Order: sequence, then structure tokens, then C-alpha cells
Amino acid sequence: MAQSYFPFQPEDLQRVLSAALSRGGDYADIFLEDTVIRSIELQDGMVSQALQTVLYGAGIRVLREEQTGYAYTMDLTMPAMLRAAQYAASIGQYGDHSALPLSVQASRGTSTAPTRQECLSLPVPEVMLPQQVRDTLMHIDQAAHEQDPRIVRVKASLNQRTQHLHFINSQGEQFFDERSGRAERTDVRPRTTLFVHIVMEQDGQTQMGFASRMMQMGAEMITHETIQTVISEAVSRAAFLFGASRIEGGETPVVMAAGASGILLHEAIGHAFEADFIRQGTSIFAGRLGQEICATDITIIDDGTQTGDAGYLAWDDEGTTGQRTVLVSDGKLQNYMHDRISARYFNVPPTGNGRRQSFRHPPQPRMRSTYMLPGQTSPEDIIRSVRRGIYAQVFTNGQVQIGAGDFTFYMKQGYLIENGRLTRPLRDMNIIGNGPKALRDISLVGNDLLMDHSASMCGKGGQSVPVSQGLPTVLINKLTVG
Amino acid sequence: MNRETAHIAMDMLRDEGCHDMRVTLMHNHEDTIQMRGSALERLQYATATSLALNLFIDGREGFFYTNDLRAESLRQFIHDAVQTTRLLEPDPSRTLADPSRYYHGDGPELNNCDTTLPDIAPDEKIRLVRETNQWLEHRDCRIISAETHYTDRLHTAYYLISNGFEGYEQSSHCTLSTIVTVDGGKGQHLMDGWGETRIRFQDMPRSGVAPVALHRALRKIGQRPTTSGRYTMILESPVAGNILMPLLSAMSGQALQQRTSFLAGRLGQAIGSPLLHLVDDPLIPGTRGACLFDYDGVATQRRMLFDQGRLATFFIDTPCGHKLGMQPTTQGTHHLIFQPGELSLSQLMRQYPEAILVTDFNGGNCDPTTGNFSYGIEGFLLHEGEIAQPLSGMNITGNMLALWQNLVGKANDADPWETELIPSLAFDDVSFGGC
Repeated sequence: MAQSYFPFQPEDLQRVLSAALSRGGDYADIFLEDTVIRSIELQDGMVSQALQTVLYGAGIRVLREEQTGYAYTMDLTMPAMLRAAQYAASIGQYGDHSALPLSVQASRGTSTAPTRQECLSLPVPEVMLPQQVRDTLMHIDQAAHEQDPRIVRVKASLNQRTQHLHFINSQGEQFFDERSGRAERTDVRPRTTLFVHIVMEQDGQTQMGFASRMMQMGAEMITHETIQTVISEAVSRAAFLFGASRIEGGETPVVMAAGASGILLHEAIGHAFEADFIRQGTSIFAGRLGQEICATDITIIDDGTQTGDAGYLAWDDEGTTGQRTVLVSDGKLQNYMHDRISARYFNVPPTGNGRRQSFRHPPQPRMRSTYMLPGQTSPEDIIRSVRRGIYAQVFTNGQVQIGAGDFTFYMKQGYLIENGRLTRPLRDMNIIGNGPKALRDISLVGNDLLMDHSASMCGKGGQSVPVSQGLPTVLINKLTVG
Repeated sequence: MNRETAHIAMDMLRDEGCHDMRVTLMHNHEDTIQMRGSALERLQYATATSLALNLFIDGREGFFYTNDLRAESLRQFIHDAVQTTRLLEPDPSRTLADPSRYYHGDGPELNNCDTTLPDIAPDEKIRLVRETNQWLEHRDCRIISAETHYTDRLHTAYYLISNGFEGYEQSSHCTLSTIVTVDGGKGQHLMDGWGETRIRFQDMPRSGVAPVALHRALRKIGQRPTTSGRYTMILESPVAGNILMPLLSAMSGQALQQRTSFLAGRLGQAIGSPLLHLVDDPLIPGTRGACLFDYDGVATQRRMLFDQGRLATFFIDTPCGHKLGMQPTTQGTHHLIFQPGELSLSQLMRQYPEAILVTDFNGGNCDPTTGNFSYGIEGFLLHEGEIAQPLSGMNITGNMLALWQNLVGKANDADPWETELIPSLAFDDVSFGGC
């Protein structure tokens, strides 16, 4: 067995788990975390600001049926761990339990055929030294200014995050390496994020452009090609805005461009497929498993198996093996996204969607990498099919109301479609729809699936986790734009 | 909290050759209780101590944060922090604040903290949550889910700044909130909620939260968009702060210096109608957000932000002051007070024959360089001050400068327990996109 990264022997953690279960809980787990985040920023032509954060601690969770007791400590000594365990254990003393299946299902194997062989803890990442980061940022500053003389400000930052995690539960489960066939003491998760922010001035007008990349990788993410792509995106987005405007709002067909438009899946339906909302009966998709919810050529996946992707998980944050989960198959709602609590409630295997921001937070069902499989139509034919509508290309943020299913996302860049052609550049318009209705209104699916690897953080219940999304070009017959 | 840790960190930094620094030691205690139906769903307990370092070495600045306070870990962390900061390029604008601006201990007793929060028995807090949620049991057959959430937080911070500041502050708050989901028919699940916040546990309301939450959820039944057009918009107090945020962001020194503020060059100009009258007053005892000094150690003061529509100040911190050649003011706001009107919300609603009452925002954004905005909203169509139709699936669009010029009314209903006391506001001629 590999050397422990954290200062505990297996028997120590067993003692903590025993204390956690001492007041009637039926399940307990321990999540140990050591995270270092290093960020260096360029502003006004100078690499003059550095930030570093260390998060070190343990979260102890006790379940009694659906109830959760949770405590965390930043003091990784046995007395502090036992105190936290005893507090979390107190959930066991409060009654009013509803009848639930008691056994947690085995955490491997689901009807969605998870590709577990790809789910391996990543190697300890290579981290760029501060000198290398400084040189990279200076290069970005120079390269950006060379691309367009209208640039008056460049801000760029490189953020490198390395997490060491350990998980063990009262059923003896811990991170399990499928390839070596052994229990792993530590999962290592690197994450690198590059941000470039451009300000341009022309004829007394100022415009901003922003682009980013975020991958579960170390320094290898920072290639010449990646840097050039991110700079070009930021510069072209700022330049685009000078000639763009808004149009009168109303209901209109919307063509979602391939890639970042995956925000449609995330906001319109993704959150509503998270099984805590299903368990609580609050989601608009509660009770609709197996029903046809959209056209039969639509298949939607939530995937934790794409190595390097922001949503990649060798194991989720409660020890379940990373998986590829089919949410919608040929138009039918196939699976919800489960953590252990919802999985035991519905008596199904967990799907590896139990995620948390840090040891300070209990896990909850969250998306990973969510995308739609490609269809048959070319993107050009989709645009040609629209007499008048909107082509939506670049987005900044989105939101959904789980119960009603009403979602919005903010389009920063797009075009008006007139007689099947892209004409007037558009900007700063909010797109509104209702999740189930928008899904039913998808009438054409392109053959050009594109994953978007911009820095994308998803917020829920006061927690933020990295996600990614992808979409082929699709036509939605009617959304409200304004 | 052992204040000695901050002094040890300062000594370690000096040993590493760093002599200008801001050291902040923080300790938080937080309890969370959540109940769904009649069952306790989550019980969470947390205490956290952490250390933040802000280093200035020959015009170079670094920010460092850790909660790993073991002696050896801290020594290594500080060594790495100093080395990393030294690798940066000098930026002469990055300095500590002028010590003459520091708080010198002559402020009032703020009386904004309940230090007993960690000692209150969990059963007492659980009883409050249970009684609140129990009110909803069997109350209405349309209820799908009812959830009550309680959280309290006691925050303590100790500040040491190398050029002559030492400060200690404590603050607390307790929040009780209920979210209700109801069956709106035709497969619609409609959710809304209500919450109340106090500084002390003993002041928490024992009733009222759950009934308001249920009323707000039920009144949404039948939501749909209405015809696009220009309407008077009445923005309900709990969400009125959302429309103020773009103005406050555009007042930041960072936005001015980066040329991304639509308020650049407008100091002293009329940005809004004379009803836009806004102050930041952190020195009122017994209020949330009250503080005697900011993160830089600089003494806080009552500050006019908008004087009858005119922009009265920008938020200029020390580095931005140097870069912009402006006198530093403050980093931001602490306890905002929008001068209230004289009418209740229902009286304000009756002022307009037809209007839209906006009760929540759903996404959207504002371009910081132009002030152009588009937000998703929900609320109610009003006829003669009465609710005529619940609305959803609509946008409002416009420009912040034009919007605030059209501020035509305000109520007197700001929640005194919030850090931002913004009443319901009425804006004329707002563009709504619907069906």
C-alpha cells in the first residue's frame, strides 16, 4: 500500500469512523484535503501580484438514512478529529426518520456502462515555477498588444491548483485504482487556469474581451498553441463588440453555436436532473424517468471519464468511481445524477456525481462534463433553415429556477439570422426559456459536437465546482430574447 | 483565538527579510441546521482559524492565505511567500496605507456581536427550525416541499500592520429562512422563500418566516409572460440592491484604472434622479456591517455616495490612488442606506395605474464599460396597485444611466437588519421583453 500523504494510520481513521457511528448513524466517511493554489497576475504591463492559498483539513460526515451530520476540522490531530466525529455523530440522536432502504449499493457498475478503465488518479502534476509564469505572462502581454493597436489594457493571470485527497468510509471503501487493483491512499487532482482580459478603445468607445482555459492538468496545459488561442479569442471578442448592437426583444428561433452553448444543457436541464432535487420532489423532471422528453435523435451525457477535462473525476468526492452517465438516450430520460444519499433513497447505484467544493462542505449531486452527442445536420444547413432568428455564440453566465424550470443565459456575442444568413452582429442579450419546453423545441442537431474548455465554475447550495460542457450546433424553435 | 500566532508570523516574515506587511488572523464559528418536512436533514458544525498575509517587498505585493498553522508548515509557507513576492516586478503604487489614516481607537462601541452563539445549545437552535417548519405541515395540499434553514456565524479577526496598526473586531449574524415548493398545476413546481437575519440569537423571530414563504410561493401560481412593452417597474426591496450593484462596481478605483467603468469622468454629475440619495454609514451601533476600520486598517467614516442623484465619490484604495493620482477614499461599502421614501410598498404600487412589480431576478448581466444591461425577471403585472397576473419568462433591458434618471418613487420598507438598506424603488419607462 502506498505511503499515506496525511498523518494518519488506517487504525486512526477507523477510530474516527467508530466515533462517528457511536450515536446511531448508519454510515460515516472521512474526506482529507491538502490543496495549494498559486496564482500570478499581470496588469499594466507588470507581473506585480501573486496570490497563494493553502486549504488543509478534514470533513467528517455521518448519515442516518437521509439525514446528514457534518463537521470539519483544520487541525489534523486525533483529538480534533475525534471531536469533529462526535459532533457529526449527533445527527444519529434526532428521530423522525422516514422508511428508506438501508444498504448502500456497491459503488461500481451501472446500467450506463461506465468506462472505469480510464478513471485513474492523475500523476503528481508538474507545476510551473514563478519565474516561468512571469515569463509566460509577459509574453502574453506583448503578443496581445501586437495583435491589435487598439488595445489599451491587458490583464492576464495563471492559476495552478494541486489537490491531494484521501477518502475512506465505514464500509471500508476508499479510492480504488482499477488498473493496479489496489486501494490508493491519495487522489491527486491538478487544475490549471489561464485568463486573458483585454480592454480596447476606438473613437471614444471602450470594449472588453475575455477568454480562458481550464483543464485538470499541470503545466503541460500551457502550450504555445493554447496561449495563442486564448489571446486571439480575447482580442477578437473585444473587437467584435465595437460593431455589435442589441435588437428589440421577443420570442424568436435561436441557433446555438457548437461549443460554449453547452450552457443550454447545464442550465436548462442539467440542474433539474440532479437527484437531490428529484428526491425532494422540487425538480420539474421528478417522476419522469423513462418518459420521452425530447426528439428521438437527442442523447445527453454527463461524463466524469474524460481525462484532462475540468469535470474529470477518477473518484467523486465520496469515493464512487468516475463514470459516464447517460441522462437522455434517444429522447428518453434515462438516469438522474446521484450522490450516495439520493442513490440509496432510490435504491440505485451512485453515478459518481457526489461532489464538494472542499472539506468544509458536504457532497451533493453535481454535474461534471455535460454534452449532447452529435446529430446528422451540418451547421450551415441549420442556419440556412432559419428565416429570421438569433445565432448565439459567446456567453458569460446563466441561471435556472429548479422548480419552474425557467432558465436564462447571457449572450455576449452572436448574430441576427436573416433569410438563412448571418447578418447583423449582436451583443449583450439575455436568453430566457423553460427547460423541458426548450428541450422539446430542439428541432435540428448538428454534426459538429465541440467541447468548451473555458473556465467554468458551477454554483449550487453555496458551493462552487469546476465543470465543462459541449454541444453541437442546435436549432431551438422558440426562446425569449431581450 | 491565539493572537500570538499573528505575532509569530510577523517575526517569521521579518526573519525572511520582509518588513512591510499586513497580517490578519481570523477565526470563524458557524452552525448550520436544515429541516425538511418533519425530519432534521443536516446538522453542521464548523470552526476555522486561518491566516492572511499581505506582503510588500520593494514595491512588490503578494497575497497569501493558509489554514495550515502547524509551526513547520507555517515557516515553509512564509518562506515560499517571500520568495514568490521577490520574483515579481516592482510596482511603486503597491504600498501600505498612510498610517495617518489608520483607526486610532476613538470610535463608538458598535454593539454588533453575539459572542454567546457557540455556547447556545444545539437543541435550542433545532427547536427554532423545527417550530418554523412545522407551521407548514398539512397547511396547504399544494405544498410539495418545505425546507427551513438556520445558520449562525461568529467572526473574529485580529489585524497587525507593520507600519503601526493593531486592531481586533468581532461580528455575528443569525439567519432563519424557509423555502417552499408548491404544485402550480400543469406540471409546474413553483418555489419561493423568505428569510430573516439578526445579530443576536435572542432577537430571532419565532414566527412569521414560514407564512411569508408560503404566501410568496402560492402567489406565483399561473405565472406566464405578458406583452412586451414599456412599463413602470417597481422593484421590491429584497432585490432592489441587485440593480444598484452595477453602479457600485463602476465606482471602484480598479474599474476606473482599467478603463472599464461607465462612470469614469462623471464625479459630481447627476447620474440619477434626485431620489437617488445614498450613504455608506459603518458607524451606527447595533447594525450589520458596522465597523471602525477596513481591511487596510483605515478608519471608516460616514460617506455620501450619491447626493440627490449626483455622484459624490469613488472607491479608491491606496494602490489605485497612486495609479490614478487621486486621494484614497475607501475600499468599498459596509452599511448602505438608501434614503427611504414615505410610502409603504402597497401605497407605492397604487401610485401607478399600470406597472410591473419585480420580485426576483433570473440571470442577466450588465456591461461595465457601457452600462447596458439585460436581466431576466419574475414578478406581477399590477393594475391600479393590485396584482393582476403573476409573471415569469421576461427580460428587462436598458442602460444604467437612463434607468436611474427614471427613478420616480421609493417606499419606506428597507429591512433594517440587512447590510444594505434599500427600499422598494419605482422606475418609469422600463423596457420589458415577454411575449
